[in-house]
Amino acid sequence: MEERLYDLIFILRPDTPESDIDKVISTLEHAAAEKGGKIDSVNKWGRKRMAYRVQKLREGYFVYMVIRSSHGEVVKELERRLKVSDPVIKYLTVRLDEELKRQDKLKRHRERRAARRPRKTVVPAAAMPGAEQTAAPTA
Amino acid sequence: MAEENAQQQSYGGGGGQRSSGPGGGPGGRPGGPAKRGKRNFVRKKKVCRFCVDKADFIDYKKAEILAPFIQERGKILPRRMTGTCARHQRWLTVAIKRAQNIALLPFAAEL
Repeated sequence: MEERLYDLIFILRPDTPESDIDKVISTLEHAAAEKGGKIDSVNKWGRKRMAYRVQKLREGYFVYMVIRSSHGEVVKELERRLKVSDPVIKYLTVRLDEELKRQDKLKRHRERRAARRPRKTVVPAAAMPGAEQTAAPTA
Repeated sequence: MAEENAQQQSYGGGGGQRSSGPGGGPGGRPGGPAKRGKRNFVRKKKVCRFCVDKADFIDYKKAEILAPFIQERGKILPRRMTGTCARHQRWLTVAIKRAQNIALLPFAAEL
């Protein structure tokens, strides 16, 4: 099965000590490895103001990671762990690979168009005398 | 009154110098002429910002990019306000909704 790519963002309570944050991340890494997935990158965004209050909190500690796996079981397990983990107040997983595929397709399409463009600019120039001819009888 | 209307119509046929008409005094004549003025109002063409940047996807993680496309109360702005093309508006709404889910953007402004 082809490989899937996911974005996973979760928000921790802002008063979580640094050691607990690392603990949460490492447990997620272990859980992912157990299920045959892999965490590509972990990016701590740090304390940020949230757009609305969550559990009466205005701020949260954001962590962003990219996950690679061949099936959805990994995401299921990670989300379950995030749900039962106390310091986590919010999380979101987004599947990326299909969007990346679309992005690639559009990019290739544009490149092909760009490669063809020199010929295309000649066509309007050739059409110009034709347009003049049709305009002449009316005038 | 009848004479005035006739004059307005002849102006309408002329077309070009119409822009000063409706500004002059819309209160004086009700109905028809005002409509005429509206038709000749030229709107500035808006260009899709994402097309200009040749964006292949819209990142929901960058709230500062999405912020100009929501109202102060948190509503998503319609295409006719922002000039975004249909395809990019589709992607944009998805991105905004994702950002809302992870508290990067508000669902509704708090009072």
